[in-house]
Amino acid sequence: MTFTISAPPHRKSRINFRYIMWSKILALLPVSLISIYFFGIPALSIILAGVLSAVATETAIQKIFNHKLTIKDGHAVLIGLMLSLIMPPEAPLWLPVVGSFFAIAIGKHAFGGIGSYVFNPVLAAWIFISSAWPRFMTPISIPHVGQLSDFLLENGAGLLVDVSPLALIGGVYLIYKKYVEWRVPLAFFITMVLFPQTLNVVFEAVGLISSGVLNPLKYMSLIFKFLEISPELPYSMIGTVFFGILFISTDNPTSPVTKKGRLVYGVICGLLVSIYGYFGNYVAGTFYGLFLANCLSSFIESNTLPASFGSEGKLGKFYRRFIEKFPSSVKREVLFDDQW
Amino acid sequence: MESKRLSKLPEKVIIPLKQHKGTPCVPLVKKGDKVIIGQKIGDCKDDNDSSVHSSVCGEVQSIEMAPHPDGNKVLSVIIKTNDSTETVQFSPKKNPSQQELIEIIKNSGIVEHYGVPTQSVLKPAGKKIDIVLINATSSEWVGGKFSTPEEYGMQMIDALKLLMKAAGASKGAIVLRSDDAESISAFERVKFEGKQLQVSPLIGNRKIGYYFKDQNSDIVVVSQKRIYGKSILNFFTYNVTGRKVPPGCVPADVGVAICSVKSAKAVYDAVNEGKPYYETVISLEGLANCPSQVLVRIGTPFKDVIEACGGYPAESGKLIANGMRTGVAQYTDEVPVTKTTTRISFQKPEDVQRDEAIACTHCAMCVDACPVELIPSRLAVLSDQGRFDECRKMHIDNCIECGECAVICPSKIHILQLIRYAKNAIEKAYEDLPQKESSNLKLGCACGGE
Repeated sequence: MTFTISAPPHRKSRINFRYIMWSKILALLPVSLISIYFFGIPALSIILAGVLSAVATETAIQKIFNHKLTIKDGHAVLIGLMLSLIMPPEAPLWLPVVGSFFAIAIGKHAFGGIGSYVFNPVLAAWIFISSAWPRFMTPISIPHVGQLSDFLLENGAGLLVDVSPLALIGGVYLIYKKYVEWRVPLAFFITMVLFPQTLNVVFEAVGLISSGVLNPLKYMSLIFKFLEISPELPYSMIGTVFFGILFISTDNPTSPVTKKGRLVYGVICGLLVSIYGYFGNYVAGTFYGLFLANCLSSFIESNTLPASFGSEGKLGKFYRRFIEKFPSSVKREVLFDDQW
Repeated sequence: MESKRLSKLPEKVIIPLKQHKGTPCVPLVKKGDKVIIGQKIGDCKDDNDSSVHSSVCGEVQSIEMAPHPDGNKVLSVIIKTNDSTETVQFSPKKNPSQQELIEIIKNSGIVEHYGVPTQSVLKPAGKKIDIVLINATSSEWVGGKFSTPEEYGMQMIDALKLLMKAAGASKGAIVLRSDDAESISAFERVKFEGKQLQVSPLIGNRKIGYYFKDQNSDIVVVSQKRIYGKSILNFFTYNVTGRKVPPGCVPADVGVAICSVKSAKAVYDAVNEGKPYYETVISLEGLANCPSQVLVRIGTPFKDVIEACGGYPAESGKLIANGMRTGVAQYTDEVPVTKTTTRISFQKPEDVQRDEAIACTHCAMCVDACPVELIPSRLAVLSDQGRFDECRKMHIDNCIECGECAVICPSKIHILQLIRYAKNAIEKAYEDLPQKESSNLKLGCACGGE
């Protein structure tokens, strides 16, 4: 009888990094297929070129530096696929090749491989190629949601990923299965919705004030402005933004690990993307906004480290500062007699 | 359900003289002596140790260093058994006083499952206990003589009363697991002080203080989620009573004593039957023909327990003492069941996981899984680099060692192991922390007892 010995825990979850990466790729498959259906062969060749170049670059780098070959974990494939999806179909074939090379070589490996990079390699590569060759990278059209069927198939798609916001539903499934955490995408999405609605109300209020309205009922009715769909919303609810919410912002190394930090990060992503999108367009806005948010993530993380469990939060301290001024007979602890 | 006694008497038993955290007992027997069931074979030196009794009749074969389920070798009495069932005279005690109770507990050698003798949990030097908790969240149905579930519930409540009396505490509570329907229904049928007992859930900020007042009684039964872990006591105290235990302190510093179902049962038996602690109930898992629980004599080698339950289901595998999460994998099956053994598990070779750790991807799964709001991924990195000061600043001493982070980690990093490493290093490096086993038991607390 031979016994294996090891440190506890002795039973672990079967889900590993490789599994998560391949399920992300699987979640991106529907949108890839629809874009191939929509744009034809150019889309297919761009995706193939991007993925193959990413895999080849990673193999070459790991061979040259004598590292362990990690193609099988799917990370390089995912980066190549994600980068290809945010390119316009008219781009020449060498562009995804160069882009994937930059993403893997500079974006990922120069910073230290998985888990160590500061900027999402996909974003870094997109910004690199679109500032180096803006002529090829500017999409012909910027989509906007005119009717509901645009969620299923967007005829004004400029980038591959724009073709169908609904096809990105796989990302939601990943969150449901807890392969991807939920705080960043949820906070991001809510901010993306609330921002234009708030602007709507603010503009209306400014309009009322400047026209000298004194009737308070008119000001109170501003609340209903919240519920009206603002004219900005159809422009922001496009495939690229959903791609940003579900796949780019949830990239682990570039988002904070603390619970509070992830909510803050999601809100900041939403604000930056909304501001960029409001003044420019939501396609470039998503990428530049998220890139800036990446810069902030470690700052957010180190400022939201949790306190010891059961200790009083900021709100509790604030409450205590006031409650201590009260006479002791009206304090909640005395009134409710919680102590025993 | 009542647990069955292990059918076969082992050929020899190995009774370690150290089944608690502290110094080993002084052996009272020597080679060639005849011993009978319940005879004291190891005597404790002071209040923080616990005496040891023989669980069989037989002849002392030798007193030597033998493997212990904790992984090291401990001075043990090895007894060759015979079939006789002769016992020492058990003398039940009617209505004992507080001091007598403590003496009974000490002489019966009752030890909590986390290794501290029960009498020093109930009556720590220089500290006042005002509430006794029985933690039934991990080990639920324990053997004994009861015919109906109500009787079991009644016995537990009587045991709690005894513990409260021994500790001089005014309040007591039994904490059940919220998904353990069998125990909950057993307690719900019990009538206590003329009233139907209610099992009340602990939700949010509603701690037991609320229920003491609500039910207007000194004894309540509450339920909460299961907590795993090796050092859960402080977290458990906070969860149940709302009292925050300062870092480096024990629950006794805030007036809380935590006992397990097993020790409560042992105290009950010691008082009502005069029986010392020489039998214990352990759970079994993964064996060929295994009942879920079995009553065994302390000192029975794992080998005999496994053989009596149908033997090994595979040629090789992993033998684990005390559960999948926190247990110690054994290198031999010649180790005995001790007072701190709660479970024997066996993993078939195909279930034994061999993973290769890769770099942390900061996926924050461990942060979401951690029950005490730590950042395990960062602690693991800091511990790996030897930056223990920073670990301490990040409240590493709050860790309950549940292993949830290591279970869920998709990069398969050995987070629990790294955190334990850092905790041990910190314990050795800082003088303001209470001393542990090595320098032998000063259960004192850095911040001074309250």
